[in-house]
Amino acid sequence: MLAYIVRRLAVAIPTILILVVISFVLMYAAPGGPFNSERPVPPEVMANLEAKYGLDQPMWRQMVTYVWDVVTRFDFGPSFQYTDRTVNDVIAQGFPVTLTYGMWSAVVAMVVGVSLGVAAAVRQNSVLDYMAVGITIGAQALPNFVMAPILVLIFTLWLGWLPGGGWNGGQWEYVIMPVIALSTSYMASIARITRSSMLEVLNSNFIRTARAKGLPMRRVILRHALKPALLPVLSYLGPAMVGMITGSVVVDIIFSTGGIGQFFVNSAFNRDYAVIMGITLLVGVLTISFNLIVDILYAWIDPKIRY
Amino acid sequence: MTFHSKLLATTAAAMLAMSGVAFADNHAMTGPNGEALAETQEFTYRVLDEHSSTDPGLVEDVSGSEIVRDLFEGLYNQDKQGNLAPGVAVSHEVSDDGLTYTFTLRDDAKWSNGDTVTAGDFVYAWRRAASPELASPYSWYLGLMSVENIDAVIAGEAEPETLGVTAIDDTTLEVTLSEPLPYFPQMVTHSTTFPVHQPTVEEHGDQWTHPENIVSNGAYVLTEHVPQERSVREKNDMYWDAENTIIETVTALVINDENQALTRFLADELDRTEIPAGQFPRLNEEYPEATVVAPRLCSYYYMFNLREDAPDWLKDDRVRKALSLAVDREIITENVTAGGQIPAYNFTPGATAGFEVPDIEMASMAQQERNARAQELMAEAGYGEDDTLSVEILYNSSDAHRSIAVAISQMWKQTLGVEAELANQEWNTYLEARSNGDFEIARGGWCGDYNEASTFLDLMDSESGYNDSKYVNPQVDQLLAEAKTAEDPTENYMQVEQAIAEDQPIMPIYHYVVNYMMDPALVPSWPLGNVQQNWYSKDLYFVADE
Repeated sequence: MLAYIVRRLAVAIPTILILVVISFVLMYAAPGGPFNSERPVPPEVMANLEAKYGLDQPMWRQMVTYVWDVVTRFDFGPSFQYTDRTVNDVIAQGFPVTLTYGMWSAVVAMVVGVSLGVAAAVRQNSVLDYMAVGITIGAQALPNFVMAPILVLIFTLWLGWLPGGGWNGGQWEYVIMPVIALSTSYMASIARITRSSMLEVLNSNFIRTARAKGLPMRRVILRHALKPALLPVLSYLGPAMVGMITGSVVVDIIFSTGGIGQFFVNSAFNRDYAVIMGITLLVGVLTISFNLIVDILYAWIDPKIRY
Repeated sequence: MTFHSKLLATTAAAMLAMSGVAFADNHAMTGPNGEALAETQEFTYRVLDEHSSTDPGLVEDVSGSEIVRDLFEGLYNQDKQGNLAPGVAVSHEVSDDGLTYTFTLRDDAKWSNGDTVTAGDFVYAWRRAASPELASPYSWYLGLMSVENIDAVIAGEAEPETLGVTAIDDTTLEVTLSEPLPYFPQMVTHSTTFPVHQPTVEEHGDQWTHPENIVSNGAYVLTEHVPQERSVREKNDMYWDAENTIIETVTALVINDENQALTRFLADELDRTEIPAGQFPRLNEEYPEATVVAPRLCSYYYMFNLREDAPDWLKDDRVRKALSLAVDREIITENVTAGGQIPAYNFTPGATAGFEVPDIEMASMAQQERNARAQELMAEAGYGEDDTLSVEILYNSSDAHRSIAVAISQMWKQTLGVEAELANQEWNTYLEARSNGDFEIARGGWCGDYNEASTFLDLMDSESGYNDSKYVNPQVDQLLAEAKTAEDPTENYMQVEQAIAEDQPIMPIYHYVVNYMMDPALVPSWPLGNVQQNWYSKDLYFVADE
């Protein structure tokens, strides 16, 4: 197992380097630059700016310097757009916001999704099942850029219960709507996956055996059926977790949370190269880590899997 | 302040009035014109995007400048009408040759840490803004001001110490220009010219503008800044005119989505937000007291690509003129933008100080006449039913720009049979295409940097870096050069406008206005008469409900 983890980590390093190279190339291929504006700056000033941020160097050298600074000093460089911030500052400020509402969304999506899925499977073809299927299809079909403004209309403008946006250090009333908007479609997917895999498991021989032994239904489901039924959910959860904790652009923009998703999109528009790279790397590292965690969990849940 | 708190405020104001108390907290109970004031004086407004910086030397965007004008104070401020008002300087003198300006500074101006603001602080700030080390994207502004030696300093060919700005003593600042500039005093209201506190900048480097480090000399101090979320500034008790500063706290909230901002305004979370395009008529009917319109020094136009390698039809001024004539500006301002915008037949907005709109022939025609004339011109140029013209309109992706382009393409098709294709590009790509001449017709928008016609018309100079049409007319170049030093340049500007109308390198469409949703209690103090929309929180206040 340990050898497996070491091997996976060893593969991760070249993966990240390839990510750096591709991002660099794509970023520089996009027209315009970080200092483009409607009022083009005079050539002398442009030269000063490029010298200040090292953009006058050839691309391979910029890449090498970048990787070197990251590896040796954990320095992701300065933001080109927000001159008094470094990329480390930007991530240190935006990531905790996203992490907070992302983790809550993951918890909500998992708890509600799995419960709904299990309930629907156990009472297959009942009213409860039809309702659960109906809700999940609806929730999956409703995009969050539609749902988020509707939530604000209802809870802020009409009922006056919750603030319409902002973060305010993460007070609970500012977290609720982002979590609902972000978790709903994940919740629906989890419920649907759980339902179908639970149905499959419930029809398998070992469950029939368990029931034949006269075990109570509750025990059959919680003790025997749930664990194998969650395997497909788990493989879905790896990328979904990354999606949730690196945030959603829509949630960040509609609720003005100041999360990392907003920085990511704005940095792409502004050609803020260092911020683009920093967040890309963050998402890359998280994706690799979560996939690894999911694979390890797999082995733990399913004794048939051996690495 | 919200509508709810205003109700409380009224009650409180009534109670205080009965007990004869003249001050609440530490601000006056009445406004400058004797108005009764609301008790809570907190201003919260929406900004579209995170500001670029709060460093006066670096700031380049509108929302950043708004914050910088509150945190720092330059030589002069602007009043409600946009006229010069004393800032750190109380007066100035000009030498006979118009090349030397001597400013007298007040001796009671303080930094927020108690230090006195001196002429040396300005010298340090200007040298810093010009220096290649800072590489300010706005150093060109000092070039626009014709400060002596500025170009050499920016290019790194001369030391910043050679810049034409000197502290004679602590309260006397002397500025030397390379050429006389009649509107120079107006230009020192701009944030690039504001002083910075040398010890703070040197101690904290790039991070000196963080709330925990910053030392500023304006009416407010920065107390909180969460990038992409909020920026809060509070009244600065060290400010020389703190006694007359009424608003206690100003909060800028970053809200990217304008419709979300509108919802939050209606939920009383904001005191000011922009009206989303096209929604003005509805909101004005529903909330007449909260909708605000005022002219702005900005023009919306289409430019034609006049470069050598551009398609031939672009070089035919009959075609350009016909295309311009066939655009019914009134339909655009009344039905498309629908926010009180002003149809434009010339480039410089009529609201610009000292500018007289010349009699442009097209402006006085009825649209039917224009259309008829446009058809004649197209026929003269050889286009007809058998030979239709196809053009491409380039604009940066935005619903508002698309609606205008769709309307214009319809007008061209109906009147002239011209087929227009719409091409939209993301902002940076679009800027690149425009400056590389990779377009036929492109949208343009321009806002004045200062309140004088040259801030617009200089774009038509063949040497201007912003002349994306690459329009070359030696007569225009000469008129503009003369205007720089003329006692009264009005006549020159009128002639340049006539030349533009004749040659149509650009096609003016409308002059912008500001469209705000604003707390009605704030409206009386808002500087609607300042066409640059430069507002200072220190001059704002919320009146009490009647």
